[in-house]
Amino acid sequence: MKRIQTEILVIGGGATGTGVAWDAALRGFQTVLVEKRDLTHGTTGRYHGLLHSGARYVLKDADSAVECIRENRILRRTHTHCIEDTGGFFIVTPEDEDDYPDRFAAACLRLDIPCDEIPASTALRREPLLNPRISRVFELPDAAADSFLAAHATAQAARQAGALLLPYHELTGLHLSGGDGNRAVSAAAVLNTVTGEELRIDADLVINAAGAWCGQVAALAAVEVNMMLGKGVMLATNARLTNTVINRCKMPGDGDILVPIHTVSVIGTTDQQVSDPENLSIEQWEIDLMLTEGDKLVPGLSRSRILRAWAGVRPLYHEPPPSHDSIHRPAPHPNRRASQLEASPASPASRDATRALALLDHRQRDGLSGFITITGGKWTTFRLMAESAVDAACAQLGVTRPCRTAETPVPGVEQGHYWLGHRLDEVESENQQSDLICECELVTRAMLEGAAQRNPTVTLDDLRRDVRLGMGPCQGGFCTYRAVGVLHQLRSDETAYDSGDWKVAHMQSPAHHHRDGPPADGGPAEHAPAAVPNPRRQSPAIDPSASVSQPNLLLRDFLQERWKGVVPILWGDQLRQERLDELIYLSILNADHLPADEGQSPLSEFYRSGFSYPGSRLT
Amino acid sequence: MTDLLIIGAGLTGLFAACTAARAGLNVRVIAQGAGTTHWHAGTIDLLGYLPDGRQPVANWMQALGRLPPAHPYRLLGAASIANALDAFQQLAAAAGLPYERAAASIDSPGPSAPSQPIDREDDSRGHFTDIAPGRNGQLISPVGAGRPVFLAPQAQLAASLEDERPFLIIGFNGMTDFYPALIAENLRRQGRAARSASLPLSRLTSRRDHNTIQLARLLDQPAAQEKLIEMVSEAAASGERIGLPAVLGLKLHTRLLAKLNQASSARDRRKTPPGSPLQPSFSLFEIPTLPPSVPGMRLDASLRAQLTRLRVRVEIGMKVCGVRASGRRIEWIETETGSRPLRHTARNYLLATGGILGGGIRGDRCGRVKETVFDLPLTAPQTRSQWLRPLFLDKRGHPVFQGGVPVDTRFRPLGRDGAPVYDNLWAAGSVLAHTDPIRERSREGIAIATGFAAAHSVAKGQ
Repeated sequence: MKRIQTEILVIGGGATGTGVAWDAALRGFQTVLVEKRDLTHGTTGRYHGLLHSGARYVLKDADSAVECIRENRILRRTHTHCIEDTGGFFIVTPEDEDDYPDRFAAACLRLDIPCDEIPASTALRREPLLNPRISRVFELPDAAADSFLAAHATAQAARQAGALLLPYHELTGLHLSGGDGNRAVSAAAVLNTVTGEELRIDADLVINAAGAWCGQVAALAAVEVNMMLGKGVMLATNARLTNTVINRCKMPGDGDILVPIHTVSVIGTTDQQVSDPENLSIEQWEIDLMLTEGDKLVPGLSRSRILRAWAGVRPLYHEPPPSHDSIHRPAPHPNRRASQLEASPASPASRDATRALALLDHRQRDGLSGFITITGGKWTTFRLMAESAVDAACAQLGVTRPCRTAETPVPGVEQGHYWLGHRLDEVESENQQSDLICECELVTRAMLEGAAQRNPTVTLDDLRRDVRLGMGPCQGGFCTYRAVGVLHQLRSDETAYDSGDWKVAHMQSPAHHHRDGPPADGGPAEHAPAAVPNPRRQSPAIDPSASVSQPNLLLRDFLQERWKGVVPILWGDQLRQERLDELIYLSILNADHLPADEGQSPLSEFYRSGFSYPGSRLT
Repeated sequence: MTDLLIIGAGLTGLFAACTAARAGLNVRVIAQGAGTTHWHAGTIDLLGYLPDGRQPVANWMQALGRLPPAHPYRLLGAASIANALDAFQQLAAAAGLPYERAAASIDSPGPSAPSQPIDREDDSRGHFTDIAPGRNGQLISPVGAGRPVFLAPQAQLAASLEDERPFLIIGFNGMTDFYPALIAENLRRQGRAARSASLPLSRLTSRRDHNTIQLARLLDQPAAQEKLIEMVSEAAASGERIGLPAVLGLKLHTRLLAKLNQASSARDRRKTPPGSPLQPSFSLFEIPTLPPSVPGMRLDASLRAQLTRLRVRVEIGMKVCGVRASGRRIEWIETETGSRPLRHTARNYLLATGGILGGGIRGDRCGRVKETVFDLPLTAPQTRSQWLRPLFLDKRGHPVFQGGVPVDTRFRPLGRDGAPVYDNLWAAGSVLAHTDPIRERSREGIAIATGFAAAHSVAKGQ
């Protein structure tokens, strides 16, 4: 078994994990990060894209609000190009409580969150589609964030600081050493899910930043971390309905956020407690609720064309008082009003659980050293979460090294905030009109090739996260075939591509100049680690070279990935669009009768097992 | 007075209009927009797959018995379908866009053989008498899979996968809708000899928008044709069949194809040592592309030209907004205009608006699936949870796309009581129930056969 040695091992490749790797590497720690799928494959890639001003939580969760405004200011400096400076409106609709707005404004003032009340008529001039019956409007520094780009920029900064990032490496076990009194996590067993190769990573300290999967990772160290997982459903409309982030000025509830992200608007979210972080099912009532609530923000939203529905799982954490450890908490009713603020702290609903970050130092908490869990929090506070985790790591390792992330911009900030027209501007200024692979999202051939060369590409969905391939109205109808063709061409004729002329550009995945080479083996092998076995079945091996040279698998899998997200919202024009996709992939391409590929892909298992979606009674 | 008002200008509506006009009826066609013919591959697919089948249907005539009893093909029977196809072939040949049996090309040197002028009279059918009736051919898809096709335009015939000759797939650098290396690799995976080449478009044009229509228009110009012929001749080796994206001209493609074949064979003869027998010639073919499809546009234009000759008006931009029925007859329909509804009165009405793709059927958020002109009863499931299967490529297809208008054997829409709803309303094409033309690869067959039958039903009643 291959062995590598590091000081800090980070589990999880979302916003938090990449943030921890960046922070730790900047402080001079030798750092390795493992992620079982692609970076941002978890909750980071499934959130609504709101950079909070903190105002949403001022009356409910002041700690979180303070964290948010502080981080909001920092991220605008460190991750400028990952943020669109849309500003945010908190609007008072006829349904909202009368005394909330004044309490809200007072709390914003108290917590130093800039909050200006503007006339409703002014707000309506700026956002003509807003509900005309709004009575009051507050303007706040909310913004839209591209979480895919931000995680990639953070990862790139971590690499530049010397960290080794290993996507498609799944943690299968943690090695515990020592006896009672000095138990410690000393190594991790990791499976490369692409090659099937096993790897042992010896580490002085392991930081569990696995988000919604934190509980499962902690279980590998025989430590109990009871996550409170709150599933949120979001919908994307086919156009931007507003250019400003819209919040209802009321206690946070379901479907009261509308965020303009690139070419679409995202309405969100629900909050339903689930037990499995991979439970991403979407029920019909959740769609209906989003549309009904969305109509209160922008009347007619429910009749707009919905492109896609998806769910993310919030990694909420509520450290129970020791005596309540074993109390079973029933799942809250999904439609409850948000006024349960006064609910007992011992049994909060996930909507009411704190959004503040949770740092679990397992040395203090469980007598297990070399292991830290960082969870809870918001995307907005990922940098602060990383800082807290690495501070705790320094304490455990007995060193004092100050955090530098708040003053260190990631690569790409010189581009300034992104804006809606950035891609069009780039395409036009470089005359790339004829090289568009995805017309909906203006993805050019060069962007696709650059991303494919710099990121591990096991599925086309990985490229989607990098360059927004297939995220527009046709949902991959035209670009799936083209992307497969481009990748195939790239792999069969590597020399045709001059990697030198691809540059970091607005909203392209930042240049991953080179994946850092594998570190040298960690010296002579000691006895094999007594890894706690992972109860979950291991993925079949996927040959990395084959994965892209097997265009037929890429094609099939991406079509299915796209289908998964449209099934809950197919009606009207979008249903018609899918019929066009059927015409292309069945009638013209005959993609369901391509020569069989012998290789495996991450979705191969899916095709073998019978599968049905909740909400569909068909199999 | 109009004898037959056809709603819909896809393959169904246009072919039914030709059929009815030739039977002596006074016909008009109105449609909200151009049909979906522009999106299809331009081939005539009869029946490529059955719902339970992984293997393509080798002979559609022999497979009809395995279709559901209410399938439009079962209502028609093989002989009626064959008659409709004969009529279509005659019409297409008369329009200068001959369609031939896709399965035929292995049994003879093929219509594209260089020694024969490609636009010769239709005397070639004699070659094919030994081909089993109903046998499908296998042509090449733009990803290199086989496409089960019954009739193809001459330009696509030499793509037959049943033929053992090696392939050279040629694309153009920078064209985003065609990937020759990918096609060649998938052909090799199916045991065919295939290689690929990419030609520099810069030798043809200084423009950089390389979409299919733009290229087809370019290749209608003699200068560009000469350069293409030169480049293709340089790239090809003897004995190879050459596949190009279907962009060889919007109008003059048969002439360009013939010239390309001649150039290739001339070069073949030069390369052949004197005295040795002539090598088998290579021939050229087009591979259909993503929409918009040049072969589909050619088919549409040919039918429209025939209709002009038959003095049938095709009016696009007519969205039906009102219907008046009294008893069991449609009195009139109205279409939207800028000022007030425009009324159209006819003795008979043919609904040829297509399925969900064509706009003849629409599903809403509440799960209602509606026929959009007459609100006819449909067989589609009226609950969204019953619409779609979890796998996009499920061989059985998605139930919402399989619902449609049920009809009797004369192609009159049926009510819930099983009797025709109106005495003067007919339906044909993808709007029909008990078929999934895209999943079955039967779209053109359904369009031609049911459009033909419905038109004749109307004519008989006059």
